[in-house]
Amino acid sequence: MNKHFGKFGWGTGAILALSLALSACGGSNGSNASAGTAGAAGSSASKPVELTMAYMNFGTTTDLQAVQDEISKITKEKINATVKLMPIDVAAWQQQVNLLLAGNENLDLLVTSSFYNYSSQVAKNQLIPLDDLLAQYGTGIKDTMNEKIYNGTKIDGKIYGVPSVRDTAADYGMLMRKDLVDKYGIDLNSLQSFEDLGSVFQTIKDKEPGIIPLVQNTTSQTVASIMYNKDIDLLGDGLGAMLINKNDLKVVNMFDTREYKDAIAQARKWYETGYIMQDAATTQESGNSLVKAGKAFGYLSNMKPGFEQQDSKADGREMVAARFTQPVTQSTSANGFMLSIPRNSRNPERAMQLMNLLYTDKDIVNLLDNGIEGKHYVKNADGTIKMPDGAAQGYLFNQWEVGNNALAGVWEGTPADIWEQMKKFNDSAIFSKALGFTFDASPVKTEVAAATNVLNQYKVGLESGTLDPALLTEFNGKMKAAGLDRIIAEKQKQLDAWAAANAQ
Amino acid sequence: MKNNQMNQTAVHILLILLSAACLFPFLLLFMASFTDEQSIVKDGYTLFPSRLSFAAYDYLWNQASTMTRAYGITIFITAVGTFVGLLISSLLAYPLSRKDMPVRGFLAFVVFFTLLFNGGLVPTYLVYTELFHMKNSLLALIVPGLLTNGFFVLLIRSFFSTSIPVPIIESAYIDGASEFKIFYRIVLPLSLPILATIGLMLTISYWNDWFNGLIYITEPKLFSIQNLLNRMLSNIQFLQQNSLGGNASAAAATIPMNSVRMAMAVIGIVPIVCIYPFFQKYFVKGLTIGAVKG
Repeated sequence: MNKHFGKFGWGTGAILALSLALSACGGSNGSNASAGTAGAAGSSASKPVELTMAYMNFGTTTDLQAVQDEISKITKEKINATVKLMPIDVAAWQQQVNLLLAGNENLDLLVTSSFYNYSSQVAKNQLIPLDDLLAQYGTGIKDTMNEKIYNGTKIDGKIYGVPSVRDTAADYGMLMRKDLVDKYGIDLNSLQSFEDLGSVFQTIKDKEPGIIPLVQNTTSQTVASIMYNKDIDLLGDGLGAMLINKNDLKVVNMFDTREYKDAIAQARKWYETGYIMQDAATTQESGNSLVKAGKAFGYLSNMKPGFEQQDSKADGREMVAARFTQPVTQSTSANGFMLSIPRNSRNPERAMQLMNLLYTDKDIVNLLDNGIEGKHYVKNADGTIKMPDGAAQGYLFNQWEVGNNALAGVWEGTPADIWEQMKKFNDSAIFSKALGFTFDASPVKTEVAAATNVLNQYKVGLESGTLDPALLTEFNGKMKAAGLDRIIAEKQKQLDAWAAANAQ
Repeated sequence: MKNNQMNQTAVHILLILLSAACLFPFLLLFMASFTDEQSIVKDGYTLFPSRLSFAAYDYLWNQASTMTRAYGITIFITAVGTFVGLLISSLLAYPLSRKDMPVRGFLAFVVFFTLLFNGGLVPTYLVYTELFHMKNSLLALIVPGLLTNGFFVLLIRSFFSTSIPVPIIESAYIDGASEFKIFYRIVLPLSLPILATIGLMLTISYWNDWFNGLIYITEPKLFSIQNLLNRMLSNIQFLQQNSLGGNASAAAATIPMNSVRMAMAVIGIVPIVCIYPFFQKYFVKGLTIGAVKG
């Protein structure tokens, strides 16, 4: 019997061996294709290399190859390198970036963010410090943004990421349907603060029975949060926060502050009067689609120059804004979206040269942001750009992530001087003293998980006015039990260490 | 007699109600995919929408070339994966079912061991990408599914060892059949129920697989249909929750988000629903035999 089995075993073995051999050959070997000379100074640009850039993608990538080829034509000439774009869908972002960095695949530029593990990527030594490279090859970058923002990404005194040029501050206010504002003669200039909105809501409630005066755009932009965001720097997750105007780098429990209590009391008052959508705390419908469907009058939001025009497109109606605060730059405003060079890069020098082009070269920025002229956009007489008539969307990029957006063509409907406005706006902001601080939650992981559960249970309810503010005591009690004090102590410790490192 | 008939009617009514309860969500899903976006936001989901619209399918049709491609990839990996999976599983299960096989207990333990423990995501990823260079290849969609089905192997082994009498194998051996001949002329034809069952399970798992695509595939032209739908869905959700600059927000505004989700679900399940009835008669039989007697 054994003999017969031997024959059979051989057969199985052969098939297994074959399948393994097939799989070994079938791979694309892409990771080795661009191995260049990491040690040799890339500045000499003697050997052409391929630079891979990974970024977060939400849009259409049908014509990606064409755009990539056009960009490569320019970079080939300027830095003797071609570019490979690697769009990663937001659905796969965390997972794939983790795996990319854990492995040894070549990756030269990566979009990083304090919302997506920036501090732990640095802690794990997965990103390289950029200071020397910036000084040598990235000299054009520094002038494109406010110095505080440029330096606002430092960890232990070193730069690991370069922020994109975008709105790095936000002001807060109310966005409303223009047709209704005009119809009832609402004077936007008479609205000076959030409290003044009450009379407007009353008008809408009385005269437009089918329309809800106030909805939330998303469940993270709660009614109360828009009112307290100008005062409270969440320091990331809001578990332990800082009062911006106190200017003292002291971590406190935000749910115990007067600012927070005032905001949720106001939200509750509006909710009880019937101004706020009844199921605001739980609905999955965004404010955009509620306004679009004619069900809502408006929503509170964080804003920036050109915000009305942008949201008018999303809402399918013309919108007007009432702004109530000065622009504020929070601790995460700079490191919210950055470009970094991963440890995996075989050509960090060349990668920095490409980064420099993304901040200084108009043609490359326009190709990356808007696609190919004539195919994906055409220029209007006033310098703005629009989709060619009848063209299907072939390329959509999320320009705020990467590079110097001020160089990109401005889309029709947005003021042509938007980037001048934006610069003034960014520079005029109140800067949080903790700008650039990122919290590494790993030492208090358990407490953060427990506190987040409590947070999810109460936060949206309280901040949308659905829950009685009297529950705040209970909420704070549970937060304490979950270990909020330990989180605050840890955050304070890290904040002090960060401040000391940056003072040098 | 009359009593009996009454019982019958009662049971029928009960079963009809049950199946209606199972069908209802699907019907609602189907109708929602044809409902006008604005009326979903206004009135919620209903079986009789006030306004019908093909906007969702129109949106998906605009991506037809990507979708057809993704369908092709899914059909290919499902066909190849199911076939090779069945082959490997039954080839491994057969010797494990033979009492005269040396180190049988140890091999069975090795198979069983993989059910309980695995290397974890990062090491698995590193093995497939760094050692076998499968990243961005169709193999990455097929191979991981082949090697993680110890459960199927054990099911088939139980079927072989309980339903195929040893005397049949011995008589074939006496008639001069080789081991291979015994396997494919005698054992496999007698095991049709379990093969169909495992085949169906493999088909469904390959058809529904999006996770391998999520971690191993970054090349859009290799997306399978479930992976593509999953990505489109999350992207739509993200666009909905974040107001983006440039022309992205304008593009997002034109997508009928609620009905598109439903339309995607319809597109994703229709083909599998179509083939299910053909497998079903084997399915019940194979599963009970494999499980109860094993």
